[in-house]
Amino acid sequence: MKNVLHWNPPESLRGAEVTYTVQYFIYGQKKWLNKADCKNISRTYCDLSDETADYEHQYYAKVKAMWKTNCSKWIETGRFYPFLETRIGPPEVALTTDEKSISIVLTAPDKWKTNPEDCTISMQQIYSNLKYNVSVYNIKSKRTWSQCVTNHTLVLSWLEPNTLYCVQVESFVPGLPRPAQPSQKQCVRTLEDPTSALK
Amino acid sequence: RRCLISVDMNQLEESFQEIKRAIQTKDTFQNITILSTVETLQSIKPVDVCCVTKNLLEFYMRRVFKDHQELKPQILRRISSIANSFLYMQKTLKQCQEQRGCQCSEEATNATRIVHDNYDQLGIPSAAIKSLGELNIFIAWIEKNHQATSV
Repeated sequence: MKNVLHWNPPESLRGAEVTYTVQYFIYGQKKWLNKADCKNISRTYCDLSDETADYEHQYYAKVKAMWKTNCSKWIETGRFYPFLETRIGPPEVALTTDEKSISIVLTAPDKWKTNPEDCTISMQQIYSNLKYNVSVYNIKSKRTWSQCVTNHTLVLSWLEPNTLYCVQVESFVPGLPRPAQPSQKQCVRTLEDPTSALK
Repeated sequence: RRCLISVDMNQLEESFQEIKRAIQTKDTFQNITILSTVETLQSIKPVDVCCVTKNLLEFYMRRVFKDHQELKPQILRRISSIANSFLYMQKTLKQCQEQRGCQCSEEATNATRIVHDNYDQLGIPSAAIKSLGELNIFIAWIEKNHQATSV
């Protein structure tokens, strides 16, 4: 739930020294609020993660440009609902192999926190129906298959010994259409089958 | 065991996403909410989920969808799709209710009354638009509280 407001500089003022000011609004509350460190800034983004940390509220943000003595009107976002619109990052993936199997342990991603000192909240706590889409690719046969799991541990069985497999996992919440962000592809080789050495 | 509904939230959420910007842009009262996100819905106890779901489905079916006069056909189609999903949920809840009941505690009744009061205070065209714009709050609440698909 890292929520960053981005905008483009005014077309007509490219290269000019333009500064920007941002405000945000909590839907249902009374007034627009200032974002202290996004007042008269020259960058074109503003991190509103702390201001929108309560993912069960909805928010608006707006920005205006200032150049010399001129000031633009406010440009406002649509209504933003972190609970439904946040993009859920990939889980942590740990793999261990055997001759004919790979054990996968998944750890749900954590909620974004600006201050490392803040307590850690797992996305599993926010979305208790969080699921994972596990994709497996057999390098030798070039075959890919995937399966959807809820548990955090999974064993891929009946694999070929001494074969390289690549695994990639996405987290998702059923029912809520959002773009998924897959984990880094991890590849491991199953162990040699000891009995084959005896033949 | 509680009455819970299982419904394809994906289709419901996608229908809402299609009308979200158009509907929410027409809602000019940013400082008012009908469903009062945190105060009302989030404080509902598991035992009251069935009753509040039933009441809010009725709220949308009997008031919001009837009061809202939509001119654009593509938005009207999406609203109808959402209404059909709600109709299905109502039927599912009704069946379950006959077997397991769907008690309404005082809190659940109060929560529903707050929603109706907010709606009445704002007045029909605006209240209907705002309630449609807050469908995502209700959908997210259903998603969170009706995950166990026991019907």
